[in-house]
Amino acid sequence: MLKGLIKLLASLKMSLWLLLSLLFLLLAGAFIMPLRAEFQAIHSLPLFQWVTRQPLSATWWLWAAIGVVSLLAANTLFCSLDSLMRKKTVTQWLMLISPQIIHIGFLFVLLAHLMSAIAGFKGVAVVHEGTVLQLPDRSALQVRTIAMSLDPNGYLRDWAVDVSYGEAGRIVGEDRLMPNRPSFREGIGIYVKDLRALPDKAVLLEISREPGAPWALIGGVIFMIGTVTLLILRMKREAKNEGAPSIL
Amino acid sequence: MLWIAIAALPLYLLGIWKRPFLYVGLVPQAGYLLFRGVALGRLPLVGPHDTLTFLSAAIVAFTIPFYVLLKKPLFFRSTAVLSAVLTAFALMAKQHNTPLPPVLDTVWFELHVVLAFFSYALFGIGAIIGLTCLRERDTLGEGLQYRTILVGYCCFSFSMIFGGVWAYLAWGTYWLWTPKELWTSILWLFYSLYLHARLQSRWAGKPSVIVGMAGFAVVLFTYLGVSLLMKSSHTF
Repeated sequence: MLKGLIKLLASLKMSLWLLLSLLFLLLAGAFIMPLRAEFQAIHSLPLFQWVTRQPLSATWWLWAAIGVVSLLAANTLFCSLDSLMRKKTVTQWLMLISPQIIHIGFLFVLLAHLMSAIAGFKGVAVVHEGTVLQLPDRSALQVRTIAMSLDPNGYLRDWAVDVSYGEAGRIVGEDRLMPNRPSFREGIGIYVKDLRALPDKAVLLEISREPGAPWALIGGVIFMIGTVTLLILRMKREAKNEGAPSIL
Repeated sequence: MLWIAIAALPLYLLGIWKRPFLYVGLVPQAGYLLFRGVALGRLPLVGPHDTLTFLSAAIVAFTIPFYVLLKKPLFFRSTAVLSAVLTAFALMAKQHNTPLPPVLDTVWFELHVVLAFFSYALFGIGAIIGLTCLRERDTLGEGLQYRTILVGYCCFSFSMIFGGVWAYLAWGTYWLWTPKELWTSILWLFYSLYLHARLQSRWAGKPSVIVGMAGFAVVLFTYLGVSLLMKSSHTF
């Protein structure tokens, strides 16, 4: 029975059904999300905390998608292992290994989502120059200055927010937040989400922790390496099979 | 400057009749994008006017290698029709001449958007190759469609990865639960399904060609449908 289950989990047919199921579940989600008010707060909590507090009538597709993704992760793993064990004698090991590299990258990205869904953290606050906030690690964050530059038409051209970190009443670090340049401290990211110039300078700060982010990046890089390798090999093979010149 | 973009439309329409006009049309369209980029001091890829123009030009540019590989008049005629339609819609759309918001002024955004539209263009060409295969009962084109879609899939995957890096630096998360992100995932899953299904013998040939063509409908909805109809981080 176990052998049959492993065979099923390692089959390509299973992959196709899982991909198709996931596709339809996300399709359902894409239409349900704009219609249900519950989804407006989806980013306020880590996914698993949020989803357990919502009615099943709104989140059934998300639960089902989580289940299918779990099966897809197992299927990807078993499929790769099966493929590597079957083809022990290969002339082109790159051709064999590159899809498995892609699969590993994909699994890393899934792992990243899982970690963020379990242990992510997010908090927002409107702050002014001089405001002090307490961070989750009990250190203090002070917003020192908020600078904005506008173009002649009034469009925001650039901005910078200077902050300092304090512990036990003394400053332990300083940083400058700019567009696409958040400040990181002990795994916590400080982001400027919005700015206001009038009546007084204020920023909407977000303090967040995405434990999956480094894993997602590693997964993305692995995925890209595998994809480029496979692409070059497949293009050459397909062109050779057809007797047509390669377009690469 | 808009007249340069307008000049591409009749040339693409003439491309339906004679193939070289298609490539002559690419010159003013690419020139327009270049001039617009220089004038605005940013990548001209904000809003439907820019992106439709870019998509149209990318489709035509990517058919250049097929000039030798696929000598099928129907392929080039269909490309000319698609490019002309996209150009016409681009000309009807409002230009966004405002400076780029600071958060979009990063190489991650540029890579994300450029690669996304390259992939859309390649998926479009894949659909046209599929159409040509079906109409002319040519099985050889199926491999060419696969290779085109495979390159598009790589571009699309890279675009998603770069978009994730950008979103993390800009907003603190590499993933947002919005309809656009869901549709992007649907599109990625659809082409993942296509690439995996093709490994099975029963899917080879006509079924694979049809799936490859259907993908472009998902592309169009992900790009235009979601952006115009649903609220998301990518709304026009």
